[in-house]
Amino acid sequence: MSSTRLTRKAGPYALLVPAILVLVVGMAYPLGRQLVLSFHEFGRAQQFGQPAPWVGLDNYRELVTDRTMWTVIARSLAFCLVNASITMVVGTLVAVLMKRVATAPRLILQISMLLAWAMPVIAAMTAWQWLFDTRYGLVNWTLQKLGFNSFDGHNWLIDPLSFFFVASVIIIWMSVPFVAFTAYAALTQVSEETLEASHLDGATAIQRFRHIVYPTIKPVLTIVMLLQIVWDLRVFAQINFLQNVGGTPSETHLLGTYIYTLGIGQNDYGSASAMAMFVLVLTLALTFRYVRSLLKEEPR
Amino acid sequence: MKLTKIAAAAAASALALTALAACGSSDGDKADGGSDTVTLWLAGKTDTPPKVEAWLVKEFAAQHKGKNLKVQHIDWGELIPRLNTALQSDKTPDVVEVGNTQAATFTSVGAFTDLTDKLDQLGNNIGPKSFVEAGTYDGKVSAVPYYWGSRYIFYSKKAFKDAGIKVPTTLEGFDQAATQLKSDGNSKFSGFWLPGQDWRNGISWIFANGGDIAKQEGGKWVATLSSPESVKGLTELQGLYEKATTAPKDGKDAEPWTAFNNGEAAMFMAPSWARWSVDKKRAADLGGFALPGVDGGAAPVFAGGSNLGISAKSKNQDLAFDLLKLIYSDEFQQQLAKNGLGPANDKFTGLMGDDEFAKAAVSAASNSKLTPASPEWASVESASIMEEFFGKIANGGDVAAAAKAVDAKLNAALNK
Repeated sequence: MSSTRLTRKAGPYALLVPAILVLVVGMAYPLGRQLVLSFHEFGRAQQFGQPAPWVGLDNYRELVTDRTMWTVIARSLAFCLVNASITMVVGTLVAVLMKRVATAPRLILQISMLLAWAMPVIAAMTAWQWLFDTRYGLVNWTLQKLGFNSFDGHNWLIDPLSFFFVASVIIIWMSVPFVAFTAYAALTQVSEETLEASHLDGATAIQRFRHIVYPTIKPVLTIVMLLQIVWDLRVFAQINFLQNVGGTPSETHLLGTYIYTLGIGQNDYGSASAMAMFVLVLTLALTFRYVRSLLKEEPR
Repeated sequence: MKLTKIAAAAAASALALTALAACGSSDGDKADGGSDTVTLWLAGKTDTPPKVEAWLVKEFAAQHKGKNLKVQHIDWGELIPRLNTALQSDKTPDVVEVGNTQAATFTSVGAFTDLTDKLDQLGNNIGPKSFVEAGTYDGKVSAVPYYWGSRYIFYSKKAFKDAGIKVPTTLEGFDQAATQLKSDGNSKFSGFWLPGQDWRNGISWIFANGGDIAKQEGGKWVATLSSPESVKGLTELQGLYEKATTAPKDGKDAEPWTAFNNGEAAMFMAPSWARWSVDKKRAADLGGFALPGVDGGAAPVFAGGSNLGISAKSKNQDLAFDLLKLIYSDEFQQQLAKNGLGPANDKFTGLMGDDEFAKAAVSAASNSKLTPASPEWASVESASIMEEFFGKIANGGDVAAAAKAVDAKLNAALNK
């Protein structure tokens, strides 16, 4: 038995240690603590040293019987699905466009998207807030110049639906570049020969996309869709920012801002943890299908 | 398949980036636990004027050989969450500033050292009384007044002259003046700049009509925004939202001077320090008066200001108390007053000046009120309950129904 064989056997596992450590410290511990917290009453008094009483499923019971939670969940799901779908469609279309146009416009497109993608959230949000400002906003000004006089001093955030429209515009604007770049990278892998052959055989553009291009880039689109769902479900910064600017927070809460208000805002860490557990289950349920199909395609 | 791997790698790195971004912001401030340094947390960047702060640091070092004072500034918006975590840690700041309405949040859980027995060492006329009460829980004083400010009306003298209006002496007269000023101006012009969710100013109309947010009855908080008096004030306020202002119905109290600076508002209401944010070119045009009451005099306004507490976990209790004594020294109190901040020692209130702004400030402060002294009030603030309620009134909602709904919310929140 040589020691090299042992090292060779242990080597890969040793290399895994840092990654596992990071996962345990960064994910497992907070998750475990969250689970424990969700069964306790944990408020400000507990933060300052009082013992936290065990309340069993009380936090969960309170949430389940509270209509607010179901409204927030329904709202978040709708928001997430609408945003993720639009982002995917627009992103894919932009990718197809990039494939078609000449180099110069493509570069311009890529650079501007890269800038949008790289812009820090708060900086971008500030600019968007100015655009939609009630009194001095460019959007109102433009619409007014175009003859829509009712937009003089129009308030974009006060009505919840309008609030989510603005939020969606911003979030889609922020997420499209990632989808477009990834889909573009995938498109470059589509075999030109196959496309040419099918063209000669008389396949239309739509048929070529459906039967050749789409199956090729599908795995990529699947995983990007998965990411978009996760991201859009736990969207926080944009909503929180807009809520601070205007609108009615209690009518515009999504899961992220609701948990934040419960926990950090009202010091009800027990309920906030219970709510976060719900979100975890929800995310798993939403993405289960995608994860399974990805695992299936993984070569053994 | 190769593509899956590329995508998976892209996804993994994107997720990793998100995770990194999430934890990048928590570097935190290093609060030295060493007993040579006393750490003081002040709220806001320049709420305590830099010159006054510099004096404090210098003087503290001069009085204590080998010791020094370190001041850290925390933004108002972050203050509560930061204190929630910092005050219970071993690296706690020694002395902290909290907003007067936030004090109960911390005194109620024993986060501050009990100062009841040492109070007379700080002076025998600590005030304002409402601030001492705000820092008292269960009969123990653990947060003492730092400075106070009061809200009053800033106005354009020229606009008043052009419209032939004199400074109003009753609340009704004020409402009429504001309405007339708006109708004289163009469609963007506000007689009185009053954003819909700015409840800290709007609440004065409730107070002036004898209403209140909540009162304590038999150990429980009972919200009173739907009392006849409150509803009367709210109805009057709704008239102003409709006829006297063009401010956004969901606007908050941030930077109320912007419209004034742009020549788009004749009046706005703000704490005394707002004066320094008005465009210098308009300084000659700027006047100030206390919001008049229903029958003349000054209407009750919402008192602004701060309290100071010593962290119960601080290892430098004596030095921290020395710092409080220094803050309460005549010299420091004088400097506060000269800079327009209401001093805890009322002997020096006169130093705030005798121009119309100082008079307005003192007059408004004579009749100031605070939010309910419930430890849960901070939760009401972070859930934006008051903002939403006033926004609904501003947007033309039914006053009585909205008031009833918000009372239910407040009762639930305050009696947790």
